[in-house]
This record gives sequence, C-alpha cells and structure tokens, in this order.
Amino acid sequence: MIYFDNAGTTIPSKTALSLAEKFNNELFFNPSTLYRGGLSCSREIKNAKESILKNLSTLNHEVIFTSCGSESDNMAIFCAKKRGVFLTTKGEHSAVYKSFLELRNRGISTVFIDLNKDGSVNQTALFDYVKNNPVDFVSIIHVNNETGAVNDVNTIAKQIKTINNKIIFHADGVQVYGKIPFKLSKDVDLYSISAHKINALKGVGALIKKKGLNLSPLIFGGGQEGGLRSGTENVFGIKVFEYAGNDKYSKLNENYQKIKSVNAFLRENIDNSLFKIISSENSSPYILTISAVGLRGEVIMHALEEQGLIVGNGSACSSKNRFSRVLEACGYDDNVLDGVIRLSFSSETTLGEARTAVEILNETVKKLKGILN
Amino acid sequence: MKQAIIIRYCEIHLKGKNRGYFEKMLKENIKRSLKGIDFKFTAMHNRYLIEDFNEDDYEIIVDKLKKIAGIHTISIALVVESNFESIFEAVKNLIQDKTGTFKVITNRADKTFSPNSMEFSMMLGGKILEHFNKNLKVDVKNPDFAINVDIREEGKTFVYTDVIHCLSGMPVGSAGKGLLLISGGIDSPVAGYMTAKRGMKLDCLHFHSFPYTGEAAKEKVIELTKKVGEYNGGINLFVVSFTHIQEAIHKHCPEEFMITIMRRFMMRIAERLAKQQGDQAIITGESLGQVASQTIESITSSNSVVTMPVLRPLIAFDKIDIIEISKKIDTYETSILPYEDCCTVFLPKYPAIKPNLDRVIKAESKLDIESLIEEAFRKVEKYVF
Repeated sequence: MIYFDNAGTTIPSKTALSLAEKFNNELFFNPSTLYRGGLSCSREIKNAKESILKNLSTLNHEVIFTSCGSESDNMAIFCAKKRGVFLTTKGEHSAVYKSFLELRNRGISTVFIDLNKDGSVNQTALFDYVKNNPVDFVSIIHVNNETGAVNDVNTIAKQIKTINNKIIFHADGVQVYGKIPFKLSKDVDLYSISAHKINALKGVGALIKKKGLNLSPLIFGGGQEGGLRSGTENVFGIKVFEYAGNDKYSKLNENYQKIKSVNAFLRENIDNSLFKIISSENSSPYILTISAVGLRGEVIMHALEEQGLIVGNGSACSSKNRFSRVLEACGYDDNVLDGVIRLSFSSETTLGEARTAVEILNETVKKLKGILN
Repeated sequence: MKQAIIIRYCEIHLKGKNRGYFEKMLKENIKRSLKGIDFKFTAMHNRYLIEDFNEDDYEIIVDKLKKIAGIHTISIALVVESNFESIFEAVKNLIQDKTGTFKVITNRADKTFSPNSMEFSMMLGGKILEHFNKNLKVDVKNPDFAINVDIREEGKTFVYTDVIHCLSGMPVGSAGKGLLLISGGIDSPVAGYMTAKRGMKLDCLHFHSFPYTGEAAKEKVIELTKKVGEYNGGINLFVVSFTHIQEAIHKHCPEEFMITIMRRFMMRIAERLAKQQGDQAIITGESLGQVASQTIESITSSNSVVTMPVLRPLIAFDKIDIIEISKKIDTYETSILPYEDCCTVFLPKYPAIKPNLDRVIKAESKLDIESLIEEAFRKVEKYVF
C-alpha cells in the first residue's frame, strides 16, 4: 500500500512509540501529584514543551497542550478575545471556519477575506480591510490543508501589527510543524499544531501562545496547563509527539528537499492530458492537489484504493454542497472541483513510491475516463 | 405502583376463521422483538398484556412495541388492588397534571366486584371532582380524556388514561415474503417500511458498483436496511456487484438508455434472487414521474422483463410526503448522507424520459444478458441483521 493521505493523518512512528513506552508502564503517574513519579512526569511534559519551542526557534512563546489541532484553534478563537471584530480567510480548516460561524451566531462581527487562485489569502484585500476597518482578532491558516498554498504568516502578522498592534494574530500551523523550516516570530500571538500529522498519535495537539498574552480557559477543572486547559495530561501522547517532532527537526531540511523532489517528480510525470494540477509551484511540497477533470473525486479515490494507492479526496459526494468550500473559494469551475484528489506526503515518502503512484494514477484515470466518457 | 402495558391490535379482529393465525403471528412477533427483556405476557380478549417487567426497561419496551406492525394502540396502566382507595390513588397519580373534561369508564371482568360498573364510575367521578374541584369537569359525551378502570378477576385492577397510537397494519409475515430493492436514497426504505407494515416479510437487495460507489455508500445502505429491519423483525440484505453490467451498458448501448437498461438488469436480477429466496414479489420505491426512470414508459420497460408482481407502494406519493415518512421512521438523515450512488455516476445528460420499448430491446441486444447476470450472481454478499 502506498499511503498518500498524510495531510489527513500519518502512520505513528515505531521509534517514537517505543521511546515513549515507559510512560505507559513505569511512569504512568498523574503529573499533578507530588511523589517522585508524578514529578518526573510533570518534568517530562516541561521538556516536551521546551522541545517544541526549540523546534520553532522561539523564546517568546509558551506551549499549552490540548487534545488536537481543532481544540487549539477553538481555544485561540474563543479564549483570547470575547468581543470585537474577528477576521479570517475563506481558506481555513473547518476548525476555524466553523468557530467563526459560531461567533457570528453569537452576534460577533466576522469577516472572511477572499483567496487567490492557489488558495492563499489575497493580501491586498486583507491589508486594505485591516487599514480601513476596526479589527481585533485575525486568524490565518499557515499552509492551506487542501491546496498546500503557503501564507507567510510571519510577514503578514508583522504588517498587521504595524497597522494596528492591538490585533491578536492566530495562525493554524497544523500542516507546517515538523514539515516546513520556519521560525515562529513574536508577531504571531497564537499558533496551533497537531501531533498526528507528524507520525505521532491522535489525541494530542498544542496551542503555542505568546508569553504575556492572557487567555481564558475553554476547559475548567484541576488547573493543568497553567489553569488554561484542565484535564490530566496525556503524558504518553505528549512524549510521542515530542519524540516524533524532534526526529523531524533533526533532518528537517533534508526531508523538505526530498519531498520537494517527490512533489516535482509527480508534477512532471502526472499525465497532464488527464490531470489539472491545482497546487501552485510555491505550495508546500507536502501537499499536491490535482483534478481529473470530468471524473468524480470519490470514484477516483476508490479506483486508486483498489490498486493500492490511498489518496485524499476533495469532493466527497453527489449531493448539494458537494464541492470543497475552500476550492470553490479559489474560483474553480464545477468540472474541476468534481475531480479533485489530494496527494499528501510525510517525511517517510520515497521517490520509489512516487514512481509507482504515478503509474497507478495515470493508468487508473485513463481507464476510468475510457469507461465513463 | 406497578405498571402494565395493554396492547390492542387493529384489523385482525375483522378476520373470521383466520383470526387465530394472525393473532399467533402477532404474539410471536412481539415476543421476538422483546427477546432479552423479562416480562409476563398474557393474551386477553382482543388484547395482550405485558406486566412484571423491570421499570428501567419500560421505555425500551414501548419503543419496540411502536415498531411492531399489527399493534393499533397501547396504554400504560397502573396496576392496583381492586378496592376503591387503591384505584383512586392510581387515578390521582395519572391525572394530577390534567385539566379539562373527563369521563370514567369502568369494566368489570370480575362480576362479583360490587358496586356495578356504572355505579363505580359515578362514585369515582364524584371523588375526582371533589379532589380536583377547580380544574376538572365531567363530560360523558365528548370528554378531553377518559379514565379507564379495568377490574380484573384475580383481584387486581388496571387504571389508565392515555392511548398511544402505534403502527397499525398487519403482523409481519402474515402477507408473505417480498424482495425490496434498496438504493441508499430516501424512497426505498420508506417503501420497505410500508410493505412490512402491511404484513410482508422483507428481504433486501442492493446493487453495489465499486469503484463508482464506495464502501461508505454500502455502509449507508446497511444502516438503512437495519432501520427497515426494526419494522420487519430482522432482515436479510443481499449485495450484488453491478460494476461490470454498468460498464458493459455504458460501452455498448446508447447513452440515453443507460438508466433504462440498467433498471431492466436490476429487475431481472431481483426476480432471480427473489425466486431463490422464496420471495413472492419485488418491491421498489418508485414514485410516478419523480425522475426520468420513473415515468410510466420507463416503468413499463423495466416491468416487462419480469413476471413476478412488482409492488410500488409509493407510486402516487409526492416527494414531500415520502420525506415526512422517512423522518418518522428515522431513515431520512442516513438517506441524505452524501456518497456516490450507482445511479449518479453513470447519469446521462439527457436520459430518455419516455423510452420506446422496441428501441430499448434493440439497444440491449448487443449485450450478452445471460452471462452478465450469471457473473453478478457469482459475487453476492449476504448480511443478516
């Protein structure tokens, strides 16, 4: 099986799992307790936080562990500001998009900025809006999970702060951490990351918060995570996250270059009479979104699965709202939107897999087009 | 205070000499449905009684009874000793939140109980008026609610007010067996439910066409089948792979007849499977004119390949009414889940709305019908729920 749906989730790293194993055995303690075992668990969580901050090269931030990227996004949106004008883009993950709809339901002003064709935010429209209107909170996805388009959040945050330094800036970095070389700047107040996208486990995420920024809790209770996120910590999951993250950052550039060449190979060898490439050249190399124009994403996905290639699909269905909200906002027509599939890679992806995948992609879609058209 | 559930059936009492057959079937369906729950079952004249159950199971029992065809109404009665004070306590319990007009209906199976029914009703009515003097009035002709007092022979009395309407219909199994074509849409589960309600025991047949439809679409059909099965006393689902037939039609036949010919194949396969399973009819969710394949010409075309009766309980229903029933039987939310279904992928831009049978037969003649059907039967999956 070739697994090309790593933007969805990744295969847990055996090394990270075995390194963390002791936290399921002798170090099973509750980190809030005062005996030695508990203290050493709490120390290990602290170490995990330091690793994350080191990987993001920042001294200005601190880490709050959560249960997932979605929780981190929710916490950023609901806990930093209670009122004001909230601005985001039309290219966000549902964790941000649906949170903004909820804000709107609660009577808070929300603004959604248009996208460029590749799925990145239209910066002219963004800065125009911020210059000419009151804005209190901004949330922008760092790498678009559907197209891979990169929003340079450091530069955008800096420019926004220059216009109005009271604005709180959040970025969803779930598709970035452990994948793309990046130093988190002090202009970014809040940054969401997730464990299972980098070969760690589902059930752990983190919100990186600028020191000094006040948040109110989303979950109340025993006062863990500085009172901001109560609930007994998932020490095992956190340690797997740390080990998987450290492994990624030990060869981040090397992996990045490798995946760039995987991506380039696919771009060159995918039959362009069968596919339209949606992801721009500047996108994250870890995501390559293509469309077999005229076919249905779900059908292609099933046919590829039968050949041993697992991909993600953009459009799932035959009903109304069958298209991806984000890709629609990029301005593609129905025919293109229908045939979208997403190939996404992990640092483990090899050029050999890409070679086999290209053959499967070209042959399967050619066959399907022959049958269906 | 102990509770008992009184079950009344409907059309069965219209039956003459066959009545015993229907009653037995209903009784067995009820017992099968309540399997695993402890209770005492008593058959009385024109009704059944369920008592001695654990109070925690009460809602589950009522919920299950509401899905058994043949049950007209049920009432939840309080069971008390046959004396005035106990009966009045039960009444107080039942009507404390009620307002408006009422009447008391007393029945004495125990004729030794004194006073007689009429006198007892008057005594109880008087006591109720005295106790609830502000909110209640008697109206024997057209009351807002009735207080029923059923004095049984063994020294106990059932007291109840509300009558809960159930499915009605006929006991499943009393009207033979049929094969439902189930697609994953809104209509076919409703058609199945309605047929089961009239007493026909169902099997289901679904056509799956991987990769044009995925596992998620099959899961959806499984969910829908299970829901229909709740009204059917369990159910069998047969899944037949249809991919090769769709591809062959697409390759060899004019696009406009794609759906027409597809449906003819579905009917042929359905009839063959029905015969194997001992089903006596095919049931579809067709509704006249709803889509191109459901015009009278299209129905004529698909009907002409089978000799078995094809039941179409929704034929004269509007979509909006079908949706209403699907919501009632809780299949709607599953039916509208968005997955590819086999009809949508191969949907021609301009399907023939009034396919001419001769032209359809001619178009179909390029296919080796028999061997395509044989191949379909080589890959039948069976699920038992």
